[in-house]
Amino acid sequence: MNVTENVTEPGGEQDRPRDDEIQAFHNRIRAADADKLELVGDKEPLSVLEEEYKAGSPVFLAKLLILKQSYGAIRRARGDGNCFFRSFMFSYLEHLLVIQDEAEVARMEKAIEICKKTLIDLGQAEFTFEDYLAIFVEQLHGVIQGKETSTSLETLVERCRDQYVSNCVVMFFRFVTSGEIRRRSEFFEPFIQGMSNMSVVQFCRSCVEPMGEESDHVHIIALSDALGVPVRVVYLDQSGDMNDKPVTVNKHDFIPEGMNTAVDPDVILLYRPGHYDILYRRGNSGNVKHTSLEESNVEHF
Amino acid sequence: MLDVSRVQKELVEIKRDEKLSGVSIEISEGDLTRMRGTIGGPHGTPYEGGVFIVDIQLPSAYPFEPPKMQFVTKVWHPNISSQNGAICLDILKDQWSPALTLKTALLSLQALLSTPEPDDPQDAVVAQQYLRDYATFMGTARYWTESFAKRGALGIKEKLVKLVEMGFSEDTARVALENCGGDENAALEKLCGG
Repeated sequence: MNVTENVTEPGGEQDRPRDDEIQAFHNRIRAADADKLELVGDKEPLSVLEEEYKAGSPVFLAKLLILKQSYGAIRRARGDGNCFFRSFMFSYLEHLLVIQDEAEVARMEKAIEICKKTLIDLGQAEFTFEDYLAIFVEQLHGVIQGKETSTSLETLVERCRDQYVSNCVVMFFRFVTSGEIRRRSEFFEPFIQGMSNMSVVQFCRSCVEPMGEESDHVHIIALSDALGVPVRVVYLDQSGDMNDKPVTVNKHDFIPEGMNTAVDPDVILLYRPGHYDILYRRGNSGNVKHTSLEESNVEHF
Repeated sequence: MLDVSRVQKELVEIKRDEKLSGVSIEISEGDLTRMRGTIGGPHGTPYEGGVFIVDIQLPSAYPFEPPKMQFVTKVWHPNISSQNGAICLDILKDQWSPALTLKTALLSLQALLSTPEPDDPQDAVVAQQYLRDYATFMGTARYWTESFAKRGALGIKEKLVKLVEMGFSEDTARVALENCGGDENAALEKLCGG
């Protein structure tokens, strides 16, 4: 067909679906997933993972055994591409609520002020993030007990399961992450170039700022540095061969700039390829929900 | 629930420098979910001098979901449907972020007019023409701008009638006008010269 002769009959059946149709389709897939799991789940004993991998790879099972020596429980986050941010949010706030660290709340407020200034300096209109910032600060204040606005652990779980609250905080973290990456673009550029062909700004526009874009090392470093919160990631993956050396579980501590590298992170995440959940040390207080009688050996968590 | 206060802040922002930015928004009385955006055709493109109207609908989850945008003014462009004005642009789909605004979205549409992406087309016919016969593409895009995106766009019909009255056939007159981007004198020169 000579298309140049066809200019009076443009488009036709060759037209693509409209943007809103594509978007609606995308949303339907996500919504179907969303029904399966809360944004953050209940705290469960680590043995639930053994059940999951029973028929699976021996490497995973061997690693799980090692994991159980140090960690006792897991709390899942929904796998919608925001799991790192949702896990970080809950893990950080829950820890603050448990230990009642008012000094940390004050420190975090200062860190947030600096993040806000960074974003404004980068030309981000304040109205695009001020509401999300305020909602995070509200959750932060809530965890300190003895005030009218105080939240119990139960309420914290509820808030973090509320789509609006959770999405707002995720979006605030995405702003903070993007701001930190752009502020220190010379530092982050080699990492980003190693992963993609994008410029730093393009990377932030495409892989950080849109909801549902998955997080990588770059995101974790940036958020941890900007907010001054150390993060441990424990990797449960296929790496290591059973027949070779004894299997080891890899972990990486992301320690913010200027902080003592010997610090033990309180935000601990379990990474399985493409997904983050929250991990709890053994002996950690907090309620473990018994999911079945077989898992009654939860006392020693 | 639509985030009304956010939308209002956006409208203030866009109003503040609409002369400089070349994009603006009008709202329908009392309904913040439906608006009309306007985009000035970028200089140095076949859309220069045109004013393009975009229908904007805000979903209730805005700004967590992207605004729905569609050209009302007919445009000849590889990433815009020549039939219904539907737009192919990543930030209006999965690359949308609450970090963006209606203003940045309209500015992105303006940038799209300057730099078509024929490898990711909305309108396959226009994209093919862009890739295989760039000169004809430019002519048609200019003609459409002249015909549909300019105030008093009816003028093109009158120009055609004039040329026909001068004795040229309607078909050749239309082709000449298209090739000259609607410029009547240039078309006449071409018709006489050819």
